[in-house]
Amino acid sequence: MKIKSLLFIVALGCTTATYAQETATPLQISGSVDTYYKYDFAKAANINTYFANEQNSISLGMIDLALKKTTGKASFVGELSFGPRGQSQSIPNAAGAYDENTNSFNIQNLYVSYAFTDKFSMTAGYMGTFIGYEVISPAANFNYSTSYLFGSGPFQNAGIKASYAFSDKVSLMAGLFNDWNVYQDFNGVSHVGAQLTVTPVTGWTAYLNVLSGRSAGAPGTGTIFDLTTAYQITDQFKLGLNAADYSVSNDNGGYSGVALYPQYAFTKAVALGLRGEYFNYKGIGTAADVSVASVTLSANIKSGGLTFIPEVRFDSDKDFSQGFTKTNGITAAKSASQFSLAAVYAF
Amino acid sequence: MKFISSFFLLITCFVYANAQSENLLPVDEHGKLIYYEVVELKGTTQDSLKIRAVNYLKKQNKDVQFKSAQGDTAFIANGKMIINKTLLVMSHPSGEILYRFQVEVKEAKYRFWLSDFSFIPYQRDRYGNFVASTTIGTPLEKDPGKLNAGQWKEYQVQTAKYAKDLAVKFKQFMASKNPIAEPMPEKKVISKNW
Repeated sequence: MKIKSLLFIVALGCTTATYAQETATPLQISGSVDTYYKYDFAKAANINTYFANEQNSISLGMIDLALKKTTGKASFVGELSFGPRGQSQSIPNAAGAYDENTNSFNIQNLYVSYAFTDKFSMTAGYMGTFIGYEVISPAANFNYSTSYLFGSGPFQNAGIKASYAFSDKVSLMAGLFNDWNVYQDFNGVSHVGAQLTVTPVTGWTAYLNVLSGRSAGAPGTGTIFDLTTAYQITDQFKLGLNAADYSVSNDNGGYSGVALYPQYAFTKAVALGLRGEYFNYKGIGTAADVSVASVTLSANIKSGGLTFIPEVRFDSDKDFSQGFTKTNGITAAKSASQFSLAAVYAF
Repeated sequence: MKFISSFFLLITCFVYANAQSENLLPVDEHGKLIYYEVVELKGTTQDSLKIRAVNYLKKQNKDVQFKSAQGDTAFIANGKMIINKTLLVMSHPSGEILYRFQVEVKEAKYRFWLSDFSFIPYQRDRYGNFVASTTIGTPLEKDPGKLNAGQWKEYQVQTAKYAKDLAVKFKQFMASKNPIAEPMPEKKVISKNW
């Protein structure tokens, strides 16, 4: 009995000593809160891209809370969000539906990561998507309203991925993923994806992304190719670009689009940015394609963690695919315009 | 009574303002923030100081990356420090300060200085990690404007503290008596001449 106890204590001591040798960073807590007011000039909620879409109302975005902890080579990130932007509008509930009444899952990110070396790491869990330029968090976007490309692509990808940095300028990620935006994949882990990151010159980074697979119940295999790139050309001027093409096999539709993001910082606290976008919905079968174009002008005025984002946006819908209406709320319109003012506090 | 309390308030404000300025780095003749020190080490040869300085810049400090040597006596490295935003229990990186670390050695003394401080803000990415939001730094002595003045002052204070801590560690290393051997020349096997 005594020997057993001794062995137990020795084993416990060894475990503790091993643990004590790991370097742990303090628990990181960060996040954001955001709120907005939007006014559509036709007095209707015409422009339906995420997230600023409630007409003539001071509305909620979300409160976003992220935790990160690193111990030695292992780390985790857990990010929860509460509010329309980070709940029923972008995160499915346990049943996989976007339901305002029964939304109970609030997870933006929930993953663990292990860095085997400085160059090679593996990550598994539920992660923000690697596709696209814009993200759910308003603190990481320049414009407050989002693009058609953002709304049409994936929001999250649950899966397991491996990343390898060949050099400071080239790295590759490859992984196996669930269907888009689901916690559980009912037809098996059905998607493969990869991201090639290239940094040709200091300040310029390009991500070449691909994600392909057949989702549960889908009529074909969906494949998305995506280019996301940004170049900080001078201290003041930054240019971003997002181009994507998504096709579902057997002529089952998809989309393609391109968005350009020039931004100019007048001071560290005041910047102006434009987003110009052309977006095309591919017709299913013999149906014709339809397209929309959009121009958004936003300012970012920063004071500490707070950013004010006044924004004007004009969308053109020559094919009447978006259901824009004129002031009477009945007559169809080919265009829509809106003003919004958002306040985003990041901590 | 009113006069006395006003007087104490004034004194407190003055002491606080003075303490704030003491926590900042001085500026050089070009108006750039600098940490500068000359250290005498009697009885230490120039060669020993050179070996120690190069060893420190190349191997002892992960924040510092050796860049170049100017002749046999001057050495330059680039450094990086992470600025942490700390509020009670909460902490996360909010940016990084890049700087230049220069050392010059002579017989029985050396001097070193940290300069060219520039700030690069961090932004949280889609995976919840904090990463640099730009690659072009803003000189730390630049006026940030009224909106960000408080935050900028905090960066300057943290930089000054970091520079002082780094200086203490560097001086300790330079003063250490442990012999640092010159790297042995690589042995070559001569196979042709026998």
